[in-house]
Formats: sequence, structure tokens, C-alpha cells
Amino acid sequence: MIPVQDFLYLAGLIFSIGVFGVLSRRNAISVLMGIELMLNAVNINLLAFAKFWGWTTLNGPVFVVFIITIAAGEAAVALAIFISIYRKFKDINVDEIKYLNH
Amino acid sequence: MEQFVFWCIAIFIVLSAFFAMIMKNIFHCALLLAAALFGVAGIFVYLGAEFLALVQVLIYVGAITILIIFGIMLTHKMMDSKIIVMNKQVVMSAVITGVLGTLIILTIYSTAHWILPALKNSESGYLTHSITTASVTKNKKVVTDVYTLGPALINPKKGFAFAFELVSILLLSVLIGATVIARKDQEG
Repeated sequence: MIPVQDFLYLAGLIFSIGVFGVLSRRNAISVLMGIELMLNAVNINLLAFAKFWGWTTLNGPVFVVFIITIAAGEAAVALAIFISIYRKFKDINVDEIKYLNH
Repeated sequence: MEQFVFWCIAIFIVLSAFFAMIMKNIFHCALLLAAALFGVAGIFVYLGAEFLALVQVLIYVGAITILIIFGIMLTHKMMDSKIIVMNKQVVMSAVITGVLGTLIILTIYSTAHWILPALKNSESGYLTHSITTASVTKNKKVVTDVYTLGPALINPKKGFAFAFELVSILLLSVLIGATVIARKDQEG
């Protein structure tokens, strides 16, 4: 039986790595990857606490389902925006794009 | 044995996530991210959520990674190895991330003393009443398979039917919005 804090340590590490990616990368797609890692850390936390409380409710798994769905939608919209920005600026570095309207 | 396999998966996830954040070639980054998400699916199996592990493999490893790779191919100069991947604030963000991770781990470590006694009681159901009781099952080992998760999602009385419908509307608007944003002719 793995104690619940091991899952929390793992989720904290993954979340920190995601924060590092969001803060330090120049490419917008890498920033998106960091956000996906952070969402995954949150999912691990939700399921760990749902298991910790003995599965008395299904709130944790249901929230995980919603987070996965919203992450998929977010990735789709973000990549559409990146493609649209790339057509206009020929680059998707988040340092250099200051304005969203041409 | 269980501990050993868990820590192997954990180290695999952390290493591939870390290298996905620091490697130069963004295509390798996407593949390493897929590996990390696959490892997270393994962690879901350890947490007793096999259905969600399957959903994770299908949606994250299957769909989102393919979407990211398509985005890379459509926007990136692929074989450009001399590009700078980190911005100017990389040292500062490394420091901030180190402090954040240390704080999270110290907080978990210092509050672990109340987690362990409570975990002994969690076999019999520690919380007997929840505010939003989505199919509460007591005195029974609940596995989060489709037979319990499906009614919890669409049950209008005790479940999350409203949020479920809201998410379906969100997905529809994402479908339309992504098509409109990524469209080539922008005269409309």
C-alpha cells in the first residue's frame, strides 16, 4: 500500500516542472506542454485524495474527467491561435509577440 | 515490489517531464511529454482508477500529443538546431520553481502526520456524508469504472448533469472556435 503523500510528492514535482516550463520557455507550444503537465499533477492530486477518503464520493474522478475534457479543448483552441499567430508573425515566441491584433 | 514499481514510474515521469521542458528540439519535447503522460496513466492505475487511466492514454497520449505534434509541424522550423529555447528569465524562473517545489514538498512532509492515522480509517469510509453526493457507496470497495462513473456524470439529482451539459456545450464551441480561428481567409 503506497501512502498518499507519495502521490502528493510526485504531483508536486510534476507541477513544479510544469511551472518551470511555463516560465522559462520561449516557444508557445512548450508553454502549452507545461500547462498540460500542471493539469496532470492536479489530476493525480484529485485521485489521490479521492482514494484517501476511501472513495466515499465520486467527486474526484468526475472532476478529473472534466479537467481532461477542458484540457483537450484548451489545447485545440491554443493550437488554433498559435497557427493563426504564426501566419501573421512567422514566429510563435512568446517574448516577441506583444499584441494580439496585428 | 509495489513500492519499487511505483517509484520507477515516478522517476520515469519526473525525468521525462523535466527533459521535455529543457530539451532543444521541440519534437523530442513532445515525444517526452507523451512518455510522461503515459506514466501518469500508470499512476492512475495505482490509484485504482483504471477507466481514467484508459481515458488518459486515449485523450492525452493519443489526441493531445498528436495535436501538439501537428501544431509543431505547422508552426516550427523543424531542423533548426541553433535556436534559443529558453527566454531571458530562465535563471529567475528556475529559482522560483525550486522554491515552489521545496515549499510544496515541505508542506506535504510536515502535514503527513495527520494523513497516516486517517488513512487507517479510510477503509470503512472516512467521510460518510458529502455535500454533493454523487452515488455514495458505503462499506464497499468502489472501483471507478464506467458503471459508477457514468451515472455520477449524468444523474440529474445527485450527479453532475449540469456540468456535463456545460462541458458538452464548451466542446461544441471549442470545435467551432478552433475552426474559425485557424481558418486561412480572415475576411469574415
